[in-house]
Amino acid sequence: MNYRRWQHGIIQGMFLMSTVAFATGTADPVYRDVLDTPSRMSNLASGTLLNSIVSSGKRLIAVGHRGHIVYSDDQGKTWTQSTVPVGSDLVAVYFPSDKNGWSVGHDGVVLHTADGGTTWTKQLDGRIAAELMSKYFSNSEQDAGITMQADIKRYQEQGPDKPFLDVWFQNDTTGYIVGAFGFIFRTVDGGKSWIPLLNRIDNPKNYHLYAIKPVGSDLYICGEQGSLFKLDATGYFKGIKTPYTGTYFGITGKPGALIIYGMRGKVFRSGDNGKSWKNIETGVPAGITGSTILEDGRIVLVSQIGNVLISDDNGATFKHLKVEKTLAAADVTSVNKDTLVIVGFRGANIVPVK
Amino acid sequence: MAAGMDKIVDMPVVEKLEDFDQNSGNVLERLVFNNRMAVMVICAAITLILSYQMTKLVFNASFEKMIPQSNIYIKNYMANKTELRGLGNSIRVVVENPLGDIFDPAFLEILKQINDELFLVPGVDRAWMKSIWTPSVRWNEVTEEGFSGGPVVPDSYDGSQASVEQVKLNIRRSGITGQLIANNYKSALIFVPLLDKDSETGKPLDYSLFSKHIEEVRKKFQAAAEGKGVESAKQGAMVKVHVIGFAKLVGDLLDGLMQVMTYFGIAAIIAFIIIFLYTRCIRSTILVISCSIVAVLWQLGLISTLGFELDPYSILVPFLIFAIGVSHGVQKMNGIMQDVGRGTHRLVAARYTFRRLFLAGMTALLADAVGFAVLMFIDIPVIKDLALTASIGVAILIFTNLLLLPVLLSFTGVSLVAAKRSLEENRDESAGKGAGQLWSLLDRFTERRWATIAITISAILAVIGFAVSLNLKIGDLDPGAPELRANSRYNKDNAFITSNYSLSSDQFAVIMKTAPEGCLKYESLIEADRLAWELKQIPGVQTTISLTDMVRQITSGTFEGSPKWFTLSRNQQILNFAEQNALNSNPDLFNPDGSVMPVIAYLTDHKAATLDRVVAAVEKFSADHSTKDRQFLLAAGNAGIEAATNIVVKQTNRTMLLYVYGAVIVLCFITFRNWRAVVVAVLPLMLTSILCEALMVVLGIGVKVATLPVIALGVGIGVDYALYLLSVQLTQQRSGLPLGEAYKNAVQFTGKVVGLVGITLAAGVVTWAFSPIKFQADMGILLTFMFIWNMFGALILIPALSHFLLQGVTADVPVEEQVNQENIVKSEAF
Repeated sequence: MNYRRWQHGIIQGMFLMSTVAFATGTADPVYRDVLDTPSRMSNLASGTLLNSIVSSGKRLIAVGHRGHIVYSDDQGKTWTQSTVPVGSDLVAVYFPSDKNGWSVGHDGVVLHTADGGTTWTKQLDGRIAAELMSKYFSNSEQDAGITMQADIKRYQEQGPDKPFLDVWFQNDTTGYIVGAFGFIFRTVDGGKSWIPLLNRIDNPKNYHLYAIKPVGSDLYICGEQGSLFKLDATGYFKGIKTPYTGTYFGITGKPGALIIYGMRGKVFRSGDNGKSWKNIETGVPAGITGSTILEDGRIVLVSQIGNVLISDDNGATFKHLKVEKTLAAADVTSVNKDTLVIVGFRGANIVPVK
Repeated sequence: MAAGMDKIVDMPVVEKLEDFDQNSGNVLERLVFNNRMAVMVICAAITLILSYQMTKLVFNASFEKMIPQSNIYIKNYMANKTELRGLGNSIRVVVENPLGDIFDPAFLEILKQINDELFLVPGVDRAWMKSIWTPSVRWNEVTEEGFSGGPVVPDSYDGSQASVEQVKLNIRRSGITGQLIANNYKSALIFVPLLDKDSETGKPLDYSLFSKHIEEVRKKFQAAAEGKGVESAKQGAMVKVHVIGFAKLVGDLLDGLMQVMTYFGIAAIIAFIIIFLYTRCIRSTILVISCSIVAVLWQLGLISTLGFELDPYSILVPFLIFAIGVSHGVQKMNGIMQDVGRGTHRLVAARYTFRRLFLAGMTALLADAVGFAVLMFIDIPVIKDLALTASIGVAILIFTNLLLLPVLLSFTGVSLVAAKRSLEENRDESAGKGAGQLWSLLDRFTERRWATIAITISAILAVIGFAVSLNLKIGDLDPGAPELRANSRYNKDNAFITSNYSLSSDQFAVIMKTAPEGCLKYESLIEADRLAWELKQIPGVQTTISLTDMVRQITSGTFEGSPKWFTLSRNQQILNFAEQNALNSNPDLFNPDGSVMPVIAYLTDHKAATLDRVVAAVEKFSADHSTKDRQFLLAAGNAGIEAATNIVVKQTNRTMLLYVYGAVIVLCFITFRNWRAVVVAVLPLMLTSILCEALMVVLGIGVKVATLPVIALGVGIGVDYALYLLSVQLTQQRSGLPLGEAYKNAVQFTGKVVGLVGITLAAGVVTWAFSPIKFQADMGILLTFMFIWNMFGALILIPALSHFLLQGVTADVPVEEQVNQENIVKSEAF
C-alpha cells in the first residue's frame, strides 16, 4: 500500500514536471469561467438540448445549454448559431419586437440582442445581480425587512449560482426576469439597469419562479409549490390560490381562459382570472413543459416525455396529437396553423399538426 | 567454386572406417564425432528434462503484453487503471427472443434463470450485476414529494399478463431502453462486472475457466431453446444467447491458441511429405523431422524454464523454428547422401558434411537471427518475447540440427538407393534432362532479353505495388474485436449487440485527474463537460458518457424534473447530492475518492483515421485546459489503447524496416564484399516488401502489432536465398567463369535447395491462415507470401540483375583478395 502510494506519487510527480516543462513554452492554461467564455460554435447546437423557442417576425430563435442560441429563417428547416459571449446554460428567450430580444439562464445571465438574434451581449449575470440587490436594499427608502437582508447577504456569498428561469418584455424598454429562490427584477430602460422586486411580490418563502406571462390584460408569474402571482395596479405581484401544491412550469391562455400547467401532467384552467379553477385531465404522467397558441386559436401543450396535446375549445379539453416520433419536449412554438416547432433534448424538430 | 572443388578433392571417398583418420578435422568436429555416444546421451537427457519443463508451460493471452508499455498514454492508463472501474473487466450477456419480444412470460422466466446462473459463476462481482432481474435496476418518477420508484420487475411479479404489462411500463419509465433492453425490445442485456481476484480463492481470475463457465450457461439455455432438456423449454420459449466482453474475448483467444497448436502437427506432416519427395529416403526424413521437433521441445522447455508464457504471438515461434530446422536439416542430409552415394562410409560422410556445412549453417542461422533480433526494437512486450524466444530457438538449432543431426545420421546412414538416385538426378540436371529443364529455364534470365523482360515486369510491379501500398492503413480496419475473425461468434455477437443497443463497443476514455475530491468540484465538471462536448464534435464519435451527464440528469430530477435544471450547478451542495446519487447508480463514473474521472467517447469504429482525430482533439484540449490541479490524460478504453498502439506501430514500422534492411545490407556486404552484389541481393527483397504492403491493402490488413514482425522476418529469412545463390555465383565468376555459366552452376548447386527452403518455410507458416485468431491468420498469409515470393525473386531477379550489374566480376583481381574464406565454405554448402 505504502509502496503503491509512493509509486503513484512518483508518477504524478513526473507528470507534473513534464507539464511544467511543457507549460514554460506557452501560456499556462487557466480555468475560464463559463461567464467569461464565449459559447463554442458547433454544428450540433441545433440538435442538442434547447430549452426555449420564440417566433419573432419571420425568424425562429431557440436557446439551450452551453450558451447555445440558434435561429432559423426558413421556419425551422435549417439553423444558424448566434454569437454568444457566455457558455452558460440558457433556459428562456423572449422577443418583444423583431429586433430586440432577451435570453436568460443559469449563472444569473441575461443576454440581449438588438439585431434579431444574430449577435448577443451580456447585460447582467449572477455576480452583478447579487450586488444590485445588496445596494438597492441597503438604501433605507426600500423596505427590505430583516430576513431579506440576511438572504441577500447569503446570495452575495454564494456567488452566481442562481438561474433566471424566464423573461418577458412588455416592449423594447420595459421587462421582467424571474428565477430561482424568488429572484425577480424589472427594467425600464431595455436592460441597462435592473431593479430588484423582491419586496414587490407575495413570495415570503422565496419559491422558485418558473414562468412569467401575460394572459388577457393581466401579467402572471407561476412557480414552486403551486404558487401563482398576478401583477396588480400598484405594481405588486399578489399571490393567487390554486388547487395544486406541485410546481407549475408555465402559463398560457387567452382572455377568459387562464391555463397553468406543471409537473405530472397537471393542467388547471380558470375562466374568471384565477378566482376559481378546474382540473383538466390530460392523461400525461410527466411534466408539461411548454405551450403555444396556433394562429387559429388552438392551444398546444407539450410534455417531457413527448406528448403533444391540442385543444380547440380554449383549453376546456385536450386531445393527444398522434406524432411520428416522440420528442422529449421543453418548449414549443408554431410557424403556421399546421406546423409546430418543438425543442427539447433532441434540439429543434418540425412537427405537423392535422 | 574451384576452391570448393579443391575441398571436395580434400575429402576423398573413404569406404572403410579404418581408412579414416579419426583425428582429422577441427577441434569441434573431433570433440563431437569421437564422443558420439556422449553427445547422444547428453542430448537425450536435455530432451527429457526440457520436455518435462515444457509441461509446465503457461498459456496466456494477456492484453497488457500486447500494448506498448513505455508509451505515455499507456503509462497514464496503467497509473490509473485500478481507479477506472467502468473500463475494467465486465461481460455483457444478451438474451434474445428470436420469435417475439421480451414481453413474454416464458422469455422473462428464462432471462431470470440465466441471470441467476450468471450470478453464481465464480469471479462475478455480484453486487454490481445489472439486468431487469436485479433489484438495483429501478424506475424513477418525480412526484410532488420528490423521487419515487421501484425495481423494474416488481416484487409482485407473477408472470401474469397484468404483471408483464407492469414490467413494460416500468421499462419505459426507467430509461434503460438501449442499455439493458434492446432498442427493438427483442432482447435483454445482463451486465456482469468481474472481480480481478476470485472471491473464494483470492487468485487472479482464470479467464479460461470463466469463459468455460459462461459457455456452459450459454449451451444449457440455447439447448433448452432447441427443446433438449431443461424445464423452460416446455414453455415453448426459445432464446439465443450472445456474449461479449474482455473475459470472453480472452477465453476465445485461448481456445484459438489451443487450436493453432494442433496445426503444428499438420505443418510437420506437410514438411515430412516435402522432404520425402525430395530425398525418397524415409530413414533420414524421419531423422530430420525428429531433430527439428527436438529443437522445438528444447525451445518450449527452455522458455518455460526461463519463465516465459505462451501467448498468441510466441505460439508461432515453434512453427518458425521447426521450418528453419527442417530446411537446414535437409541440407545436412543432402550432403551426407551425396557422399554416401559416392561410396563413402556413413560416419565419414557425416563428418565431411559437418566439415563443409557447420560454418555455412551458422552464417545462415545468423541471418535469420538478425531478422528476429531487429524485432527487439519494437516496444511491445509480445513482440520482444517473440524476438527473444525465437532467438533462443535459433540458437538451439545450432545444437540439434548442426551437431546432433549429423551425429545421428552417422549411425543410421541413408538409404543407398536414395543416395544413388540423388547423384543421378544431379547428373541429369546438368545435362538438362527431367527437372533440369526447369532449372535451365532459370539460366536464361542471365541473357539480355530475358533479363530485360524480368526487370521491366518487376519495375512495373514495383510501381503498381507502391501506388497501391500508399493506401496502407495503420491499425485494425474491421469492426468488433480485431483479434478475432469477422465471422467468429464473438464478433457476430458483438455486431448483434452494437446494432441493437445504443452504445458501441469502441470506447475511448480520457482520464481527468485531480487531487482527492477534485473531480467533484464545479470547475472540474465544467471542464469535463467541455471536453465531452468537444469530443462530440469529432466525426466518428457516436456519443459521450461522463459523470457530468448524470449530474445534469439528477439535478434536473431534484428540481421537479424540469429540463431548465438540466445543468451543472455552481452550488456544491446540489452537486454533492447529484454525485452521491450517481455513485450509487453508476459507480464507474468516478473513483471513490473523487480523484479520477473518465470522459468516455463511444466511437463508430476503431479505424486509425477515427482514432487520430480523437487523439488530436484531446491533445489540443489537454494542452489548453490541463492545469496544475487538473490534468486531462490520454488514454484508456479499448479504443484509447488502440490509438496508443497505432502511434507506436506507425513510428516503429519505418524504423524497423530501416534496421532490418540496414542489417541485411551489412550482412550481405560482409559476405559478398561487393556493393553491386549487395544491390542484386537486396532489390528483390525490396520488391517483395513493396508487394507485401500492396497485398495488405488488397486483403484489407492494416499495419498493426501482428504485421510488424512479418516484413522483418520476411526480409531477414528471405535474404538467405540470396546468400546461398549469389555467394556460389560470385565464387564461380571470380574463378573465371562467365556470368551465364556461373549462375547455371549456382542454380545447380543451390537452386533446388532454395526452392526447398522456400517451400518448407512456407509450409511451416501457411497453416496459420486457418487460425481462428485473425492476426495469426494475417501473419500466416503475409509470411507465406514473403517466403514464396522472395524465393522466386531470388531465382529470377538475381540472374537478371546480375546480367546488368555483375558482368564485370571476373578473376582478373587476385582470387585471395576477393574471396573470403567464409564464402568458400558457404558456397560449398549447396
